[in-house]
Amino acid sequence: MYNTPKTSRISIFWISCLFLLLLTSIFHLQIFKGDEYAAISEKNFVRLKTILPMRGEIFDRRYRPIALNKPSFSLYIIPGQIKDRKKVSKFIDDYFRSSQVEIDEIISNSKFRMFQEILLIQNIPYEKVVFLSEHINDFPSLTCKSESIRNYIYNNHFVGYVGRISEDEYENLKKTGYSINSIIGKTGLEKFYESLLVGKSGYDILQVDSSGRNLQFFKHNLHKDPVDGADIILTIDNELQNFINTILPEDKNCAVVVCDTRTGGILAYVSKPEFDPNLFAAGLSMEEWNNLINDPRNPMLDRIIHGTYPPGSTYKPIVATLGLEDSLITPTEKLSECTGGLQIGDRFFKCWHEEGHGRLEIINAIKYSCDVFFYDLSTRIELDRMKEFTCQNRLTVKTGIDLIGERDGFFPDLKWYKESFGKYAGIIGPKVNLAIGQGEILCTPLQLCCYFAAIANDGLWKQPHLMNRTIEETCSKEFIPWEENLPVSEKNIKLLQNALLKAVNERYGTGSAARLNNITIYGKTGSAENHMGEETHAWFAGYAVWEEPEIAFTVFLENAGHGGSVAAPLASRIVFFYDKMKRK
Amino acid sequence: MFHYLKRLDWFLFILMLLLLLGGVLAIYSASTTKIGSEFHRVDYYYKQIIWIAIALLLFLGVMRIQYSIIDLLVVPSYILSLLLLVVVLFMPEIKGSHRWISLGLFNIQPSELAKLTTIMFIARVISKPGITDWRILVRTFIIVFIPASLILLEPDLGSAMTFVVIFLVMLASSDLPNYFLIIMLSPIITVITSFISPVVFILYMIILTAILYRTHLSWIIIGINTACNTFIFFITPYIWYGLKTYQRNRILSFIDPSRDPLGAGYQIIQSKIAIGSGKLLGKGFLLGSQKNLNFLPEHHTDFIFSVIGEELGFIGCLLTLILFYLFLYRIAKSITFLKRKELHFISVGILAILTFQIFVNIGMNLGLVPTTGIPLPFISYGGSSLIINVFSVSLILKFLNERSIFD
Repeated sequence: MYNTPKTSRISIFWISCLFLLLLTSIFHLQIFKGDEYAAISEKNFVRLKTILPMRGEIFDRRYRPIALNKPSFSLYIIPGQIKDRKKVSKFIDDYFRSSQVEIDEIISNSKFRMFQEILLIQNIPYEKVVFLSEHINDFPSLTCKSESIRNYIYNNHFVGYVGRISEDEYENLKKTGYSINSIIGKTGLEKFYESLLVGKSGYDILQVDSSGRNLQFFKHNLHKDPVDGADIILTIDNELQNFINTILPEDKNCAVVVCDTRTGGILAYVSKPEFDPNLFAAGLSMEEWNNLINDPRNPMLDRIIHGTYPPGSTYKPIVATLGLEDSLITPTEKLSECTGGLQIGDRFFKCWHEEGHGRLEIINAIKYSCDVFFYDLSTRIELDRMKEFTCQNRLTVKTGIDLIGERDGFFPDLKWYKESFGKYAGIIGPKVNLAIGQGEILCTPLQLCCYFAAIANDGLWKQPHLMNRTIEETCSKEFIPWEENLPVSEKNIKLLQNALLKAVNERYGTGSAARLNNITIYGKTGSAENHMGEETHAWFAGYAVWEEPEIAFTVFLENAGHGGSVAAPLASRIVFFYDKMKRK
Repeated sequence: MFHYLKRLDWFLFILMLLLLLGGVLAIYSASTTKIGSEFHRVDYYYKQIIWIAIALLLFLGVMRIQYSIIDLLVVPSYILSLLLLVVVLFMPEIKGSHRWISLGLFNIQPSELAKLTTIMFIARVISKPGITDWRILVRTFIIVFIPASLILLEPDLGSAMTFVVIFLVMLASSDLPNYFLIIMLSPIITVITSFISPVVFILYMIILTAILYRTHLSWIIIGINTACNTFIFFITPYIWYGLKTYQRNRILSFIDPSRDPLGAGYQIIQSKIAIGSGKLLGKGFLLGSQKNLNFLPEHHTDFIFSVIGEELGFIGCLLTLILFYLFLYRIAKSITFLKRKELHFISVGILAILTFQIFVNIGMNLGLVPTTGIPLPFISYGGSSLIINVFSVSLILKFLNERSIFD
């Protein structure tokens, strides 16, 4: 019952009881068992030891290796146990490439992790390991451990590389089980499929004192095995990849992508010049890094999805189908005569063929790649409609490939011209240029490859992808690409296919250098003018048909000349090699 | 202007200041790591000082304004805290639960506010003249149930438990006859006996009936109570084994943390090692080696007592306990002076949660009770809990100051 003195008495009674309990417990811990706990605390008997999982390995479609793990030695430092910082830094400085500044930085970055091992140097050569083990007793703060690092079988841009986790990444990921020494995918597939590849750490809890007596703080679960990361099988074919690498000219920047039209899987993905991802896996020195990023040919740039270029004449099929779809032109209609150019307003637009093509209907305009035809056609098309249709054909938009940082490319619209060049900017000139894939339009080699694969599939566009499936302990996941239909009717697709066939297989077709006797190649050349150099970018995009369409490809060479003479022959060699592989 | 300071309970006030000051020192040490001969520091202590300054301004404010204003705000602030508890569920997850509302510069924890507003609202309800026993019971239950279940959704079991304590203590101190509490608590013991043996259960039922008989309850109510308990006794095993394995494990880990060596169990072991290794005199201020090893991620908040125990030893722990004890004792004694029921109940509620939080937090550091994420009042780092605790004590100080007006 409500009674203040009584409530007060009861409260004091309970409070006293609880505090007595706490006091007894503290007394028990600190006075009775104090020495025992002090001993435990000095030796750190109770320690959590994580067991690292093996990172998943990456293979090509025939289970040939692309990225593997290999054993290596690493040097760790425990900053809290450093006795003489100068001596330690000098030792490391003398025998390893790490500099004093770097070590100081590592130590000051690890404020709250003073008694955790922090990775200093990876991939130490064996002779140095021997040397180190002789001297390690002088430096209690250093430990040498054997673990595994990544080994990439060949240079490429798609697989990416791994590296030590950065401070920012660690802050974001520490709750999901990453430690400050974790190795994490930084780019490419290694980053995209990080969650599959990484696996799950196991642990051991050590609770044994110096005489080997088990302290028995815990009853259960003292050991848990790590779960290794999933292996990944790619759609890449190492043999084809290797062949393409050998036939590309060393002195040119180029990008070649080959995909399977039936699945959207990428068979070859070559961007040149390339870099050695093993440099990153082993820990890159400042000098190597500077060399890479200051190289004028920019080997770090993945030209297939990060490089955007004007597509040149390979873009003409889009304009042609747009004309047909919107009934701006009939298949048999001939447009203005090509006399080596066309006068539009006060400007004369030149055709690449100075002698002129005469009057052409749509199929031959594609076959001969006549610029004048498309200049004339462009006058009937609204600019924003051209942009819309281009995007619907999935050019100048991301393809959604399973890689990091793919770029959209660019297609200008009315708004953009007004913002860039003022209200009264003329758009006739730029639009005429855009119709032949010149000017502001930029797309990636991969987008073109996917577009031509879709033409081969009668208009069914498939998401390009590198992963075929995963191999895990209990299951295997397959990559399922999404599909969509291009906004082109079957009739018009057939017409376009016919034009692409003629461009390669008939006399005077622009792509005739790609022609093979036993395999039917469909394709379109492109020679895109650009600000970067004198020579045009050479393009050849198309697909090859055996009983059915099987592969689509884009061959792109920066500032290498004409698509018909430079890129087309390379494409035919690739198809020929693929045919040889097929027969084997 | 400061006339109210003359009659202030300086003893209580200074005890609170000492605890706050000790807290700043403890946080300063907890956020300092010694490497070789250098110290590295995170600025938690600095933020805590700012929070204390804000809290003391709030104290002055409480002392100055009329109580009628606070009185007016009881129901609106209860509703506000419920709203905040709903809002917090839509906040991004921090460490696996939705406990904080992020306001950019700092985070607020609505459950802290809800504790105080719930106490004040219950006090209002149970001090109404002429209210029947059943109404007290039902209304109090509803007032506690809503915030407690919202907090369970976050999920924050520790704070939800605090509401159970509020509920029980405030009912026990109210006009409600004691057998209500006995009847309400009896199923909990029944659940425990159902895991032991039917013999224990039958013995328990006999004792319960005897106790209830002495309170002159009608046989019908005693009969219903016995029937309900028997039903619970038989249904418990079915519910328990109907749970999924991981759900059972979670409950078992809560009762016995050493089942989960990587989670709470690991923290408790490390905390015990830290405190135990402090021995009589401790390792010295800033010099705790276990703290430096950073085994405990929360040592500036929930596990701050382990830092005190390690660095200042038994003497430091004893001093902390004495400060807390005197502080609580003073409040408990003061209750006698509060003749107005509502103020009395508010003070009892505040006393209860402060005691509960102190006991559970220190007990958790010592491995006596499961880890629940309840901070140590006045000592642990954290703005919300600090502000609410100082505000609560300010209320009690105000009641004591102005008791002649209220009577």
